[in-house]
Amino acid sequence: MGILKHFCAALLATTVVSFAAPAVYAANIAVVGGKNDDAFWNIIKKGVDDARVIVEANGGTVNYLRLQTYDNFAPDVVQLIQTAISQKVDGLVIPNWVPEGEDPAIKEAISAGIKVILMNAGGYEKAQELGAINYVGSDEYIAGVAGGEYFSKNGKKNVLCVNTVPGAANLEARCKGVIDGITKAGGAAKQLPLPATSFGDATAVAEAIKATLLQDASIDGVITISAGDADSAAIGVLQAGKTETVLLGTFDLNQSGLDRIKDGTQGFAIDQQPYLQSLLAVTLLASAIDFGTDLPTAPVLTGPGIVDKSNIEATLTGVSKGAR
Amino acid sequence: MKNFPVGDLLRRPESGAFLGLVFVLVFFVVFGSVEFLKPAGAASWLNVAANLGIVAIPVGLLMISGELDISIGAMIPAGALTVAIISGYYGLPIWLGVVGSLTLGLVVGLINGFLVIRTAVPSLIVTLGTLFAVQGLILGCSVFLTGTTSVALSPAQSGAVAKALFGQFIGGSFQVTIIWWMVLTVIYVFYVHYSPFGSWLFALGGDKVSARNAGIPTDKLTVTLFVLSSVSAAFLGMCQAILFNVAQVSAGMTFIFNSIIAVVVGGVLLTGGFGSVIGIFLGTITFAIVNQGIYFTSFDRNWSSLIIGVMLLLAVLMNNTFRIMALTYSPKKK
Repeated sequence: MGILKHFCAALLATTVVSFAAPAVYAANIAVVGGKNDDAFWNIIKKGVDDARVIVEANGGTVNYLRLQTYDNFAPDVVQLIQTAISQKVDGLVIPNWVPEGEDPAIKEAISAGIKVILMNAGGYEKAQELGAINYVGSDEYIAGVAGGEYFSKNGKKNVLCVNTVPGAANLEARCKGVIDGITKAGGAAKQLPLPATSFGDATAVAEAIKATLLQDASIDGVITISAGDADSAAIGVLQAGKTETVLLGTFDLNQSGLDRIKDGTQGFAIDQQPYLQSLLAVTLLASAIDFGTDLPTAPVLTGPGIVDKSNIEATLTGVSKGAR
Repeated sequence: MKNFPVGDLLRRPESGAFLGLVFVLVFFVVFGSVEFLKPAGAASWLNVAANLGIVAIPVGLLMISGELDISIGAMIPAGALTVAIISGYYGLPIWLGVVGSLTLGLVVGLINGFLVIRTAVPSLIVTLGTLFAVQGLILGCSVFLTGTTSVALSPAQSGAVAKALFGQFIGGSFQVTIIWWMVLTVIYVFYVHYSPFGSWLFALGGDKVSARNAGIPTDKLTVTLFVLSSVSAAFLGMCQAILFNVAQVSAGMTFIFNSIIAVVVGGVLLTGGFGSVIGIFLGTITFAIVNQGIYFTSFDRNWSSLIIGVMLLLAVLMNNTFRIMALTYSPKKK
């Protein structure tokens, strides 16, 4: 059984990594990340793995702590922070997803002498408030504005922002950014929140977008809040017979979306460049702990990077290496 | 049999489901528009219903027999990823991907079935275990083999034949899965309501021990049902991958809940022993209409989930009333 062998090898590899013990004194860093089957967090992992090479070369270690599920979100994240504190790490890279839950634990880590960098979620103001040394990530709102402006630059006037997880603050900020970005440029946009029963059902998402496009003929742009939703949206737009007229964009990247950008059925994708987030956060933190460096650039914004026909080839190379 | 047959019709297991369907249909025609019934609008809920229906019927049959299979939530992406990895990432012939997908369904179904009959562990727990196990397996394999959790399967790799069979839009808007769903429904109706298989099924759901004592091959039947649901889920995933040209690890979980809802709206008892294939078929359409109908109304989209919840509750209540009427009915003495 080849597949089984591969599976076991993968399992072993992750186990070995997480049990690697520190050898000499140098920065031991814990990175908290999202679920395994979340494509995004596997790119973050690539950044962590590449940064690890540098940290280990200086005698330190990097431990990537991942959430198993998102069902018990806030307590699980806090638990991971506690784990890092109890492991007596020197540095912690953590996304501040749920400030109410995480803030006390992050403060506790800082008062235990751990240097913290907020990554991916939280923002620079939050980092300052907590006493973290920096924020490395993108700003959802700024990314949204960039998307809105891109639509406008390409002559689009009425954009639909499809939100498959309405109520999630970061996704709402993406749509709000899009709406503000295009409104400022003289266009219009609105959000289409989809019910939870559609999440993960590609057909239901595609049909919802198709129905909305048929109902409102003035919509000439569609943007989705995740790369997977863009796969559904592409079929929805095609079904409505509007591939030629409706410009499709999305937040985040995946292979099929890039294929569409390459052959022209999707306009663009907004990338927050997750690889840079973990790579920069881990190396910055290790350097600050080991060598006392201090980066005056703050926050460190890793996005938005817009992928469209002009830079698709280089992006595809990055994808094949698991970094985009 | 001289009586007016309306009473008899209303007491059939699927009549409640049918009235629930009529109710939501009228609701959305009144509050939405007639567009909803025209081809483009109908495609919108028929496509959703077909996708759900292909797994809802075997899940419903398991529920009639007193078991549950929630591992379908992982089998759908597993089926999709298998075909996408084999034929998309490695570029092997599409038939190999299709066979691989269905074989995986067969294997997981057998594992589910044997674990349920060999151990005393409830099928909810067994399939919860395989749900996570399969999810972990596909994630591990996908990341290990392809380095990503979203694997593309281009139309060229699928080829014209597979695209036509599993992933085309008939008349530009009807997914070919609708035909699969209809054909499968007819086959299920035949086997469940017009063959010994069906009587065994209901006997199994009614009282397992008596069923076995009466000589019904209960173990074989249980394993067959688990294989059916698992293979159906893999089949659906495969169709989706070919249709959407991509497979994702994280998709499919909503199908667990949605299929159980469709089955219950269709009049199957959660405790087993009662239900019908036509009922499940109608329940699935009801669910799809409620889910998609919202886009044809002028309600603020933020209220979607609320409306879906209330409509489904009303449909089930309606259904329940009729089932109670049917089960407590006694003909007047002559």
